Amino acid sequence: MKNWVIGVWLLLLATPVASHELTPTYPKLQPSYVSGLLTAKLNIFNARRDIEYYEIGVFTFDWTPVPFATTSKILKVPHGTGYSFDIFVRERDRDLAVYVCTLSKLRSDKAQNAIISSKVCSKFGGVPS
Amino acid sequence: MRIFTLAALALILPASAQAQDTIIEGNILSKCIINTDNQGVYGNPTPDKLSTTPADGGVEPVIRYDVAVADFYLARITTPTSFSSSPTLTDTVSWTGSTSVGEVSDAGMSAYETNKVTFEATTEFDLTIAGTTRFDVSSVAEYGAGKAFPGGTYRAVVQAECIAK
Repeated sequence: MKNWVIGVWLLLLATPVASHELTPTYPKLQPSYVSGLLTAKLNIFNARRDIEYYEIGVFTFDWTPVPFATTSKILKVPHGTGYSFDIFVRERDRDLAVYVCTLSKLRSDKAQNAIISSKVCSKFGGVPS
Repeated sequence: MRIFTLAALALILPASAQAQDTIIEGNILSKCIINTDNQGVYGNPTPDKLSTTPADGGVEPVIRYDVAVADFYLARITTPTSFSSSPTLTDTVSWTGSTSVGEVSDAGMSAYETNKVTFEATTEFDLTIAGTTRFDVSSVAEYGAGKAFPGGTYRAVVQAECIAK
């Protein structure tokens, strides 16, 4: 009986997980197989049931977009799955590229009227000392 | 036979007495997870007002940030300053919004509230302690000069950002 009560209590406590994460926090840009391009590998995990698509962006320290290449700038990441992707930045933009971000893309047909958009940004350059 | 058994035991015993240290290694990687605990809903207490405040019949969005390592991230939350979708509006909408620290996993995180920096519609928190912080967001939209909002569905977006320092 006691276990049953605890079980119900735990069920009531459990809220639906709806999260978005991007790792690593401090990716390193490394030489790629294409000359003149640097690359970094990142992973995104989507536990938001209401989101299916994420947009990748690379920015300077003051949030000006930096040109970059990747397989697809809009990623389809179904709920409960992760996705690894490589981004490529020109070697001459090495010092310009500071942040790499993933931004959740909201659908216009969502039923609720206040919607949360999430954006997680990693910073190039390795773990700060 | 007895000698043979003793000899076998003597062979086995030293082996069983050997001990090896098994090392378990683990790394705590820095990462930030944004959780949408509550999406939020606008209430319509008066014809010219939409509000997420519970007293106005709304539901406040709650955003949870989980950080694994202290002092690696900034949380930035921006309240809406326009509707992402709405019926055609012919007058201006006045927006107000705020973000405050809600439930926390560490008592020291209460300092986030006093140390927060607000600029325009954005509030920035320095996540200096590892753990979980919930932020309560409120948003109010008032239609120009006491006019009633036209009927229809209104949507606005709260942006929650987690930025590596």
